[in-house]
Amino acid sequence: MFHISSQKKYWTFDNEESLEQLRCEANQKYRNKMLASGKPGVSDAVFLEAHEENVLFRHYEKRLLDFCNAFKPVMPKSVVGTAIMYFRRFYLNNSLMEYHPRTIMLICAYLSCKVDEFNVSSTQFVGNLVQESAAGQERALEQILEYELLLIQQLNFHLVVHTPYRPMEGLLIDIKTRYPLLENPESLRKSVDDFLTRVTLTDSGLLFPPSQIAMTAILNSASRAGLSMESYLTECMGLKEDKETLLKMYDAMRRIKSLMKKYELPKPDEVNAYKVKLERVHADFGTNSNMNG
Amino acid sequence: MDDQGCPRCKTTKYRNPSLKLMVNVCGHTLCESCVDMLFVRGSGNCVQCDTPLRKSNFRVQLFEDPAVDKEVEIRKKVLKIYNKRDFDFSNLREYNDYLERVEEIVYNLTNNLEVEGTKQIMEAYQRENRDIIQKNKAKLTREQEELEELLLLEQQGNEQRRLETLQEEQRQLQAKRKSKQALLDELERSHVPATILLAQHKDRAAQLETQIEKQKQVVKTTIFSTGIPMGQTVSLLTVNRLEEVLYHYQPIHMHTYGPPVPELEQLGRLGYLNHVRTAQPQDMAGGYNSGLACHRAIQDAFSGLFHPLG
Repeated sequence: MFHISSQKKYWTFDNEESLEQLRCEANQKYRNKMLASGKPGVSDAVFLEAHEENVLFRHYEKRLLDFCNAFKPVMPKSVVGTAIMYFRRFYLNNSLMEYHPRTIMLICAYLSCKVDEFNVSSTQFVGNLVQESAAGQERALEQILEYELLLIQQLNFHLVVHTPYRPMEGLLIDIKTRYPLLENPESLRKSVDDFLTRVTLTDSGLLFPPSQIAMTAILNSASRAGLSMESYLTECMGLKEDKETLLKMYDAMRRIKSLMKKYELPKPDEVNAYKVKLERVHADFGTNSNMNG
Repeated sequence: MDDQGCPRCKTTKYRNPSLKLMVNVCGHTLCESCVDMLFVRGSGNCVQCDTPLRKSNFRVQLFEDPAVDKEVEIRKKVLKIYNKRDFDFSNLREYNDYLERVEEIVYNLTNNLEVEGTKQIMEAYQRENRDIIQKNKAKLTREQEELEELLLLEQQGNEQRRLETLQEEQRQLQAKRKSKQALLDELERSHVPATILLAQHKDRAAQLETQIEKQKQVVKTTIFSTGIPMGQTVSLLTVNRLEEVLYHYQPIHMHTYGPPVPELEQLGRLGYLNHVRTAQPQDMAGGYNSGLACHRAIQDAFSGLFHPLG
């Protein structure tokens, strides 16, 4: 359950600023490490800034999402959600310059399949890398197995991720049972799904409990469709008396929505420019860079 | 039961389990009938090792391995001579050295190593320590006597108990017979109807039974099962009385940071199960029911909804 999970204890933060700070610190740590190592050609200009890393991060995240959506056999949504959460958590404490996102992205998907009991053999998994040859797939597999333990370590061995999909189902059941005012909750399902997919690309998973995210999704879809659901919170959740909690809920929902609005797909020319830099860093200072991003 | 047979007639041992094996000083076994047959003249040679033997030296085998029997015999003889005790020595080291010597002698004699030399050592020791041996012999006999006395006492106690129980039983039988006889007499003589007499008789019999029971129980519990006689003050250190706070069960309270979740059993009644996919027969065979999935979904939906306030 979420309320006793490691996600709540260790991977739920208070605000976006703390997340930004963690990412800056990771970036800074890598820079200091490289500067201290005294390798030739090291200078501040070579490294990526935090906001540049952010752009690349979003780019690779989108690619991970596309990879999971194109996966054969069809990956359940919770597996996709878990993979993206691993990716996000990993790069909260590590810099993209130290570990190339292309590799980490595949490892996140692989680990997520294992953890969520979506059993895919490793050959089947790398078979989904359609643009590689058989040898390339082999190499990819080796890399995955090499870095898997690193990923688990950086996740601090907290492997269970609570995604908002099951809370969403639970809320729909609850609405159908206790809230007859809303006639056809099933009609909301498509837009709710869409909302949840977009939410996974934001930082909401690291800031809010999944049930709140699901609630936001449902209320948002309802208001978009022009259906009123205000009394659901007050009546069914018993929050009529408890003004404070109600306000906090509204506040959380507002924040989630604003995070969603802020998200935008990275621009291709920016992405390419930063990619070049990234490749340079990995080629010069990386331990192995036999995967082209 | 016995995996060895008589080395001579072999088959006879298996066919007759009551037959005893006899061992002699050379360590080889013969069954009783073979002994009688071979040593009809009183002396002869061992079948396996050809040592000259006497019929009188045969003893009934106590151990499965005849070598053990042989060693036991030798040990008895040696210890008759080497009979010093632990308080005869000034320190532990000397006693242990003495014991080591004794063991070596026994070992040599058992395995027929340096028999001559060992025998000479024994004779020398005997000559030197003659008076000590005598003294110890006397002491030993005294101890044996005491042990025997104790054994005798125990046996006597057992006998007595047996006799008592026998007598008890006899008394009971007699009492029963008497009451039966009395009943018959009364049936003959008195004018009271038979049913009442029978009822009275039954009562009396029941009373007698309970009396007997009580007597049996009263029979003396003078000794605890460990052998400590009752009434003897045992001086043990007093065990400190540990007073601890009595445990009160308190049910676990889980903070879910969200609205309360309905119980699994209530889900059907509250109408939740109408909105969940019904369980197929093949699911239900495994113990699944739709309430489980529904309950889990609701739990997940409500958990942490009011976070971070709770």
